[in-house]
Amino acid sequence: MRKKLLATLLATTMVVGGLTGCGSGSDSGSGSDSTSEAKEKEDVTLTVWGAEEDQEVLSTMIENFKTEYADMANWTIELGAESESKAKDDVLNDVEAAADVYAFADDQLDALVEAGALQEVTLDTDTIIEENGGSDSGSVQAASYDGKLYAYPMTADNGYFMFYNSEYFTEDDVQSLDTMMSVAAEAGKTVAMTLNEGYYLYSFFQGAGLELYKNDDGTNTCTWNATDGTYTGTDVAQAVVDIAKNSGFKSMADAEIVSGIENGEVIAAVSGTWNAETAELAWGDNYAATKLPTFTCAGDQVQMSSFAGYKLIGVNPYSDYAGYAMTLAQYLTNYDNQVLRFQERGLGPSNVEAASSDDVQSNPAIAALAEQAQYATTQRVGDNFWDPSATLGKILANGNKKNQDLQEMLDTAVEGIVAK
Amino acid sequence: MSKVKSFFKGIGSWFREFGEAVVKGDAFTRLSLLVMGAQNIRSKQVIRGIIMTVVEIIVILYTVLIGSGFIADLATLGTVERKVEFNMNTMKNEVNDYDHSFQILLFGIISVIILAAFVLFWINNMRNAYQLQKDREAGKHISSFKEDMVSLINEKFYKSLLFIPCAGVIVFTIVPLIVMIAVAFTNYDKTHLPPTQLLSWVGLDNFKNLFSNSISLTFGYTFRKILVWTLVWAFFATFTTYIGGILLSMLINNPKTKVKKLWRTLFIIAIAVPQFVTLLLVRNFFADSGIVNTICSNIGLTGFLRDVGILEAGMNYIPFLTDPVWAKVMIILINIWIGVPYLMLIATGVLMNIPGELTEAARIDGANKFQIFRKITMPYMLAVTGPYLVTQFVANINNFNVIYLLTQDVYTTTDQALANSSGKETDLLVTWLFRLTQEEYNYKMASVIGIMVFVICAIFTLLAFNRVTGNGKEEDFR
Repeated sequence: MRKKLLATLLATTMVVGGLTGCGSGSDSGSGSDSTSEAKEKEDVTLTVWGAEEDQEVLSTMIENFKTEYADMANWTIELGAESESKAKDDVLNDVEAAADVYAFADDQLDALVEAGALQEVTLDTDTIIEENGGSDSGSVQAASYDGKLYAYPMTADNGYFMFYNSEYFTEDDVQSLDTMMSVAAEAGKTVAMTLNEGYYLYSFFQGAGLELYKNDDGTNTCTWNATDGTYTGTDVAQAVVDIAKNSGFKSMADAEIVSGIENGEVIAAVSGTWNAETAELAWGDNYAATKLPTFTCAGDQVQMSSFAGYKLIGVNPYSDYAGYAMTLAQYLTNYDNQVLRFQERGLGPSNVEAASSDDVQSNPAIAALAEQAQYATTQRVGDNFWDPSATLGKILANGNKKNQDLQEMLDTAVEGIVAK
Repeated sequence: MSKVKSFFKGIGSWFREFGEAVVKGDAFTRLSLLVMGAQNIRSKQVIRGIIMTVVEIIVILYTVLIGSGFIADLATLGTVERKVEFNMNTMKNEVNDYDHSFQILLFGIISVIILAAFVLFWINNMRNAYQLQKDREAGKHISSFKEDMVSLINEKFYKSLLFIPCAGVIVFTIVPLIVMIAVAFTNYDKTHLPPTQLLSWVGLDNFKNLFSNSISLTFGYTFRKILVWTLVWAFFATFTTYIGGILLSMLINNPKTKVKKLWRTLFIIAIAVPQFVTLLLVRNFFADSGIVNTICSNIGLTGFLRDVGILEAGMNYIPFLTDPVWAKVMIILINIWIGVPYLMLIATGVLMNIPGELTEAARIDGANKFQIFRKITMPYMLAVTGPYLVTQFVANINNFNVIYLLTQDVYTTTDQALANSSGKETDLLVTWLFRLTQEEYNYKMASVIGIMVFVICAIFTLLAFNRVTGNGKEEDFR
């Protein structure tokens, strides 16, 4: 400890310490001082990071927590805004200065655990697993690393699905992408999806049984260029090219989908709850949602897969009050608060009991996600996947204009994806 | 060359004086080797002597107690990895005494710098001690502490004045710079993130990566491609805004132009709007389904371009910011719009300064307007704004805003080799570097690229400044 103490002293005397973002004074105590007076109420200061849109509901929860757990400690809890999809960037930038309790999207779990930014859940672990549907359930899987639970499941609605305008499509139409595209083409409208992002492109390749997953060392395994098996990589790539060339389909970025829905051009889209809200407003009663359709691959109808998405709450192991932080994280994700989150913000609960209520079941987006769940996989992908797959997606979305050899293209993409 | 020679000569004589002091000094001068300021105290500069001794004690204490640990760890950057165990009873984490690699790097380097500075201070102390001894023996006046202090606000006032900026540069620029350079020789990336993981030295591996090219490792290819575009961009961005600004200010200065102030104000308003607001708006205007594309397809421009073969068949929009060639041209054009007003302001000032007799004489000799522009206005402008052009070129090499704000989240490369190294055709070295650190946590490669950018900018600046400012061209016009 002596060295660290001096380092801290040095850091405070040197202005440089502050400049380079090197944390000081946040090192955890040695733990030898408080065993004897464990019963005395401690002053506990915690920081919570949650999404900008959730600030109001979070502050309600925190106030409730303070009253309910008043016996445990003297709480000082601060709330900060941090986007769940970007939490990793800010936490990893300076883990010592990051919040004690923070919300994040489940795809960041691996990176956070590997960087030592997530505390293993060691309090009430079994209860938490059970409440979220047992150790095989998607949300618990998404919050686990190497079979150990590292975060508290909060919502189960962060994946993508198909939402459509039922003025144009019947329930039979939306079973197949081909039918949907021909209906849209006839009406002079568009089915939209973002093809030039690995996140969505995955649905075709995974659906056709080609593999992509992250290895223990952070690299990826990817068989998108497979030349054997039921469907080869080129079968899928050709299928995507055909879809992209269809006049009833358009590859659009998120913002374009939103404006497309608003101006009536887009009548169905593969996207998540973040865009479904716009569609619900624009289409009113005609708004409907379902699982992803099938697409034509080498002459067969193949069900599209997807990434299942969860939002989690994690505890920072650099916290001075890790145990109290765990208690708070558990409270923020318990049954009552997941229900509250659904009521106030429309977020789909991961808690099985909360998810099975009629209110939740009647929400089209959440029902669609539940239906898609059987085809979906947790998002466990190494960082090297994104750039090469985005480029592959863009070439395919352009209809492979330069007529590049598909196999070669897939080989190059896979080389980039599996690179160290 | 002579400057370099005299520089080394200076260093040589400095050390020679130190040797002389050790060899020829009296007992107190030699004692100063151990106890700094001994000679000062002997020569009745008591306060100064004590201050020097105290500084010596502080530095030695610091080095022995703190610095030596960091400096010793600097060789390995730490060996003990962080281990956390949760204690159910205290509700707290118990953490081992782990090594924080980045702290070791940072404080190790600071300690080395302190030590190096101290050695210089110590050598200087010997020179001064010997000088003092000679002065004392020769019976010269020895300045008291009060006189020293007074001299600092009189004849040595420049030293007092320079102290704060120099200290600032060292603490806020040089130290972080050295640390960042050191990072280029470590394995600091997303699988080695301190404080949880340890860093280690990897020698020149990262530099090798930048210049080598394997199938899965395309850094070399990406670096070359991005470097070429960076230079092309810097050239066009600098000269298009330069020429544009001069032409615009000449247009406004033309006697036939009415309401000059209005025009000038209009262009200055363009500066008043923050750059990023303008750029993000422009990015949306030129999106594939943006307003410009809607207008173009409504007036039939999109169809026309498709018919003449500029756009490929089946394209129903103009890929302003999504196709490599279109995007590069658009970025340069948009930059003209952003950069010209600044140049207009500068050019207006310079143009008004051109001696009237020059142009008058030329006109009498029968020169037409274009000849006057080419032979008088431009050479004069170039002579005055030469240094500005050089700095502008270097600034454009590092012009983060325009490129990043116009292409981020919009532009996806179709070059798979670039994608495998997280690069894009439109990236400058700095934007590539930024995304490597912010999205990939690849600090080691970013550091290497940072060093390369520095080298390129330094070489260019030195060469260009020597040419531009070498001979006083402005005098030719007087």
